[in-house]
Amino acid sequence: MRLKGFLVISVLGIAACKSPTPAEQMDSIQSWLATAEMVGDGWLRHSTPDKYSRQTLELSHETLLQISSDLLKAPPHSVDSASLDSVLTRSRGEVAQMARLIEAKDAPEFGRRLDSLRADQKVVKQLSDSIESRQ
Amino acid sequence: MKKVLQITLGIVTSVGGFLEIGSVTTAAQAGASFGYKLLWAILLGTICLIFLVEMSGRLAAVSKHTVVEAMRGRFGFPFFFVVLIGIVLVAFLVLVAELGGIGLSLQILTGIGFPWWAVPVSFAVWILMWKGTFSLIENGASMLGLVTISFVVAAVKLHPDWGGAAHGLVPSFPADQKAKYWFVAVSILGASISPYLMYFYSSGAIEDEWDETYVPINRVIATFGMSLGGFLSMAVLIVAALVFHPKGIDIQKFEQASLLLTPALPKWGFFLFATSMLFACLGAALEISLAIAYFFAQGFGWNWSEDLTPSRDARFCFTYTIIIMLAAVPLLFGVDPIKVTIISMALTSATLPLAIVPFLFLMNDPIYLGEHRNGWVSNTVVAIIVLISFVLAVISIPLEIMGG
Amino acid sequence: MNLVRDVLDKELLDYEEEPMGRVDGLVMHVGKSSQPRITHIEVGGAAPWGRVHPAFARLAKRLALVWGPRRREQVRIPWSRVKAVGRDIKLDVEAKDTGAIDWEIWIARHIIERIPGSGSEEADDGY
Repeated sequence: MRLKGFLVISVLGIAACKSPTPAEQMDSIQSWLATAEMVGDGWLRHSTPDKYSRQTLELSHETLLQISSDLLKAPPHSVDSASLDSVLTRSRGEVAQMARLIEAKDAPEFGRRLDSLRADQKVVKQLSDSIESRQ
Repeated sequence: MKKVLQITLGIVTSVGGFLEIGSVTTAAQAGASFGYKLLWAILLGTICLIFLVEMSGRLAAVSKHTVVEAMRGRFGFPFFFVVLIGIVLVAFLVLVAELGGIGLSLQILTGIGFPWWAVPVSFAVWILMWKGTFSLIENGASMLGLVTISFVVAAVKLHPDWGGAAHGLVPSFPADQKAKYWFVAVSILGASISPYLMYFYSSGAIEDEWDETYVPINRVIATFGMSLGGFLSMAVLIVAALVFHPKGIDIQKFEQASLLLTPALPKWGFFLFATSMLFACLGAALEISLAIAYFFAQGFGWNWSEDLTPSRDARFCFTYTIIIMLAAVPLLFGVDPIKVTIISMALTSATLPLAIVPFLFLMNDPIYLGEHRNGWVSNTVVAIIVLISFVLAVISIPLEIMGG
Repeated sequence: MNLVRDVLDKELLDYEEEPMGRVDGLVMHVGKSSQPRITHIEVGGAAPWGRVHPAFARLAKRLALVWGPRRREQVRIPWSRVKAVGRDIKLDVEAKDTGAIDWEIWIARHIIERIPGSGSEEADDGY
């Protein structure tokens, strides 16, 4: 009996691992947006080197692209998928742009992008909270 | 005086063996996802490790035999063979993770991807083993490993809520993300109670020619060294709880963990993190390669010593040469070292009983230990550790699937 | 003396106290009229593997013919050469004469000594 329960939990676990819930996907998106924000902040303060900062922003961009395309394949019912899509696309754009601005060493423009990324982070947080509260 | 200097064995064992990619990753994950809540796991792991390391040192000092020699002698070849398969497979994965950790540190410093570093890094580790002596590895790694004190500096500079941290030392049950919470807890214990540490430490005691007079100092070294390692891991967890937790960053990649020290130490934090990881992983890579070679050599009765020239202990050197070469292969193909780390920490937990159960018997054997046999305190603690190890072994794989 | 507890799997040291393997097997002579007695100690080769599973022993024998020193017969050391049985088993033989360290010598000659810095140049105490 115990073994059976154990197996059921394991199988459920495998299933859960393969398809993260929308709430978990939103958490991942927020985690990577926050990573990009932290790297951006670090670069502006000369705390992180150029190459690392650029590569990590690119990594954030790729990961965000991956998670959001998975998320939008089966968008959560509780939110307007059009507005979710638009904020995710916009924030990804900021991250990609920031990676390019490091190469151009354009700190003022980089700072502006970072600010709008922070604004987008807040919107994503609100959307995410509304998903979690309805579950 | 020489005995005081021997404390370096404890320091290198803890910095190289305790603080390495596994403990840093798991501690950073724990802090980022659960704040101070998992500090108890590091405390528990450290206490278990202090006892196990003290015993492996005592066994070596009194009997002039390492844990592996005594295990083969006492339990025979078939048992030794089973432990060999389990322990060496897991230790090999940990070695891959450590070499990868060196590669990742170099990647964030230079921008050159870690697969490119696989061959040069493995070669460097091999050269150090080939040409170096035991004391060079021991003292070099512990000196370089002192950079990791920067984790403590960062923790203090961020003014943590010490009361909240103290609360984390008491186990608590999470309201949500249960599977992940227990998975990270098990990984922390797997990262702390690494069997290769005991094999390395007891071989080190033989390399340093300990005898019965070292029994008291061994106690000091084990307690002091392992506490230092646990303390550093706790510092990593506390910094991660302050830096990543409020931002909702979940550590999945090394690039994320690299930001650990920058808020506290804006100017040097990034380089301190990279060099700390570089040295800690290098120390661990040397230690694990040696531990694997010791395991084979001692179990089969070959000549072994890091202080002999390679032609005097050919099979021993041949073993670590092959192991290091093989460990570079997955990295060349770009296998993510962090994923290897997470899998190997859970597998370490799964194989713990193999490493610890023989201990309970060896440490009570008058043939090996005479009057220095375990007292009831040590026996109770080992029995508890054995119990914990069985629980970990049973739950680690399902948790890996659910929480990882 | 308790054979399994005190002898089997213990480390073997030659007359210079150099390690030469472990007691991987014991050979007993059972005569019709005499008492059974231990005649030989088996070292290396297929001896330890046969204790895990006969298939491993067959595999070990086959592999030994393909690569390495290619020794056919099992290394056996007469019990009469045992000097002392303690934590280790001390023998009054020289390790390399018995064949017990054939592999050690083979790997040293064919692999290790061909790598620079193996110490074979300066040391004449090598094999």
